[in-house]
Amino acid sequence: MTTAAPLLRRPGVVLGIRYAAAIALTLFFDFPIYWLFIISFKTPDEIFHYPPVWYPKSIQFANYGVLFKDGDANTVLNSLVLAGVSTVLAMLLGTICAYGLVRFKTGGENLAVWIISQRMMPPIAIVFPIFLLYVWFGWVDTYQGLILLYTAFNLPYVIWMMRGYIEDIPIELEESALVDGCTRWQVLWRVVFPMARSGLFATSVFTFVFAWNDFLFALVLTRTEVITYTVQVTHYFGGQSNFWAKIAAMSVLGTVPVFFTVATLQRYLVRGISMGAVKG
Amino acid sequence: MTGMAQTPRMVDAGSLVPLPGHAPDRHFKYAVVAPAVFILLLIGLFPLIYSLIKSFQHITMLEEDTSFAGLANYIELFRDARLWQSLLHTAIITAIALPLELVFGLLMAQLFLERLPGRQIFVSLLVLPTVIAPIVAGATWRLMFDNRYGPINQIIGWIAGHPVPALWTVSPHLVYPAIIVCEIWQWTPFMFLILLAALSNVDKSLTEAAEIDGAGYWRTFFKIVLPAIWPVMAIAILIRGLDLVRIFDIIWALTQGGPGTMTETISIYTYVQGFNQFETSYTAAIAFLVVVLLTVIVLWALKRMGLAK
Amino acid sequence: MADLKITGLHKRYGPVHAVRGIDLEIPTGEFTVLVGPSGCGKSTLLRTIAGLEQADAGSIEIGGRIVNYVRPRDRDIAMVFQNYALYPYMNVYDNIAFGLRARKTPAGEIDQRVRRAADMLGIAGLLDRLPRQLSGGQRQRVAIGRAIVRNARLFLFDEPLSNLDAQLRDEMRSEIKRLHREIATTMIYVTHDQIEAMTLADRIVLLKDGHIEQAGAPLDLFERPATRFVAGFLGSPQMNFIPGELTESDGLPRARLGDGALLPLPAERRSRYTAAQGRPVTVGIRPEHMARAPAGAAADGHARLDVTVELIQPTGSRTYITVALGGKPVTAEVEPHDVQKPGEAIVIDIDMNRAVIIDPETDRVL
Repeated sequence: MTTAAPLLRRPGVVLGIRYAAAIALTLFFDFPIYWLFIISFKTPDEIFHYPPVWYPKSIQFANYGVLFKDGDANTVLNSLVLAGVSTVLAMLLGTICAYGLVRFKTGGENLAVWIISQRMMPPIAIVFPIFLLYVWFGWVDTYQGLILLYTAFNLPYVIWMMRGYIEDIPIELEESALVDGCTRWQVLWRVVFPMARSGLFATSVFTFVFAWNDFLFALVLTRTEVITYTVQVTHYFGGQSNFWAKIAAMSVLGTVPVFFTVATLQRYLVRGISMGAVKG
Repeated sequence: MTGMAQTPRMVDAGSLVPLPGHAPDRHFKYAVVAPAVFILLLIGLFPLIYSLIKSFQHITMLEEDTSFAGLANYIELFRDARLWQSLLHTAIITAIALPLELVFGLLMAQLFLERLPGRQIFVSLLVLPTVIAPIVAGATWRLMFDNRYGPINQIIGWIAGHPVPALWTVSPHLVYPAIIVCEIWQWTPFMFLILLAALSNVDKSLTEAAEIDGAGYWRTFFKIVLPAIWPVMAIAILIRGLDLVRIFDIIWALTQGGPGTMTETISIYTYVQGFNQFETSYTAAIAFLVVVLLTVIVLWALKRMGLAK
Repeated sequence: MADLKITGLHKRYGPVHAVRGIDLEIPTGEFTVLVGPSGCGKSTLLRTIAGLEQADAGSIEIGGRIVNYVRPRDRDIAMVFQNYALYPYMNVYDNIAFGLRARKTPAGEIDQRVRRAADMLGIAGLLDRLPRQLSGGQRQRVAIGRAIVRNARLFLFDEPLSNLDAQLRDEMRSEIKRLHREIATTMIYVTHDQIEAMTLADRIVLLKDGHIEQAGAPLDLFERPATRFVAGFLGSPQMNFIPGELTESDGLPRARLGDGALLPLPAERRSRYTAAQGRPVTVGIRPEHMARAPAGAAADGHARLDVTVELIQPTGSRTYITVALGGKPVTAEVEPHDVQKPGEAIVIDIDMNRAVIIDPETDRVL
């Protein structure tokens, strides 16, 4: 008589359970996103329908059309400008600062600690004083105001991350360049930046996404000129009824770019969001 | 030079005198750091000082009184029940969401730890909530929780057999669960990702040795695995915890702090004071309090976790 | 005019005094090797000459110009690193051309110089390869090519062969020697390997604990070491050091070993040893200055002793045996078939003309 192996020991069973769990989790985490996307393609009838329409008869782009016609879609452009420029600035200034910290230990421990502590600053605490300051400068609702703010807010992260990447560069490469004919600045552009390419790339994506997804700063510091897509979405909230279609479409417009960029950066995802704690 | 050995000249190490002149590029190390530091000072330090000054004045929507008000605003802070309630609300949300995210993240990481064909695809899909804007996450669940057309109530209605009018964003009993569900939905994948990477980096030989020694699953987990991933976990908890204390977007999208002030967290309250009430000086005081509070918490957490930097 | 002149150089790293008062003058075209055990300061010295470190005291002159505060790029030097320091994202051509491009040399001239250097080193066919596609020896050649192409006044080598395997090292050593003959530039070469030092150098500078122990032509240091350290550092296998006592007999200086054996010392050295008469000394004898005594009488200045073979280590072309001399185990070099097995009693012939006598208190050779 053969004894059957206990249920859990049979190889296929555990795998099967794991797959089932994986699928259930994926459903839980991705359904709301699916729902959001789907709404943006539905007709008003399909949106306000009971029982719910799980998938629409056909993909309608009418909702998007409205956004573009009204000029609301321009807010995505605003977000692009703000996030893009501030990312470039933060990467540039942050990387050379990180270089100083790593190779010259400028400012020593104290400077490094102070810079990191800036990352811990709660936005709500500084947004108000910044607001007062900007009122004084006349920078409320301007591009430069928010660009400066996003740059400042991203600098600690960039410095922190690039420090790790720069430490990984063999110093002989820089020394050889110095002897061969480079000034210190040339060493930065010709050796350090190329060698840290992958780190630059990964960090810039996270920096960009952070600025792109910001809401609080944009809420406080924009009025009519420089509205970002995040603020625009909230314009469609209503006490009694929401502009469902617009909320969904606007959100999708603002989200697809992020999905796209993150998808291309799978490899660096873990290192990036854990602030380098794990070298994923 | 002859072939004779030299007698080493013993020099008192403290008396070395370099040639007159300056090392080349001695300004470089300051020049690279200066722009970043300048911006950080401008945006990080300067406004704080400015607002600190304001907090000692009497500026409100009605009057522009810049006379010195002493600690009046700060005393007001202590008497402000709404402020303390907002801190309580913040604490509640943090205390519930953080452990849940941690535990769920760990469980999920365990699930995907062993080889699984197609794991990469699952992970990519599971990460999506974390990368969307928090305000969009909030907006998404605002629609999900909608009373009549949101899928949540639809599904509950199916199970119950009749329509269930659960007002998730308004009803006092449901607002906290709603907020917490949305928050966990968005950020558990964050924990999951980090813990998965950390668990993958744990040296297999440690767990194998434990298995041979006869340790059961849980003992191995608590005594061997957990200590190994603790540094990473601590950083994740710190990052997530700080973000939770500062939570704003999700609540803004779901309840705006309501009903009444039931879900008003410290961030929301500060915003209301500053931008709805225009209590400039008072808001400045609150802002300062928040900074002090958070600094204390962060330092305490760093010490406690042994991450003294 | 000397290409390099160092006066009173000091360099400290915190509490560590790495370079302690070095004076050095190197004439044009000479190949100087800085050699010594790890921690002796040779790399620090080289890096300070290059400008990668700042001296704490003293002056460095290159081509008659004080360069203490001059940038590395302006010191008219080229350097080859231990790890080659090739830029992994550039091909061989771009790696070699790097320095020229940084100085805005015209493209035509760059091309000419790069190709000439590549030809000289036999890597002309590798110009569009990436470093990771090259072998260790090829990478080293590219690194050398990058240095050659700049026609610098001074070439610095920082242990360039340490990362290569033994056979490749021999090959590259000859290459470097040949290179020096061809382009006749002043070269300063740092190594811890005394064989490299002996074979490559026009002049060896032996460093210990941050100061120069002895400097001179390789054979000078080998045959006339100034201290015990120099005597023991050069030569493989190492010189034997046997405790003994200085004495005189028949008006001739002699060394008496612990077990009573009396070894003759060259008569012309008598005056050197008078002051130390009767005092304990250390006798230094190189293994290759000992042999199995041939038939016939001992030559002038040679000693003959009866010893027992304790250990035999054949290497193929030579055999090293361990015998007891003065009560201490001593290595001697003999012909491969001179001895058969341990325990054999033989007569050893020592050429005492080549021996050195060391004062054990100062470690200086008398």
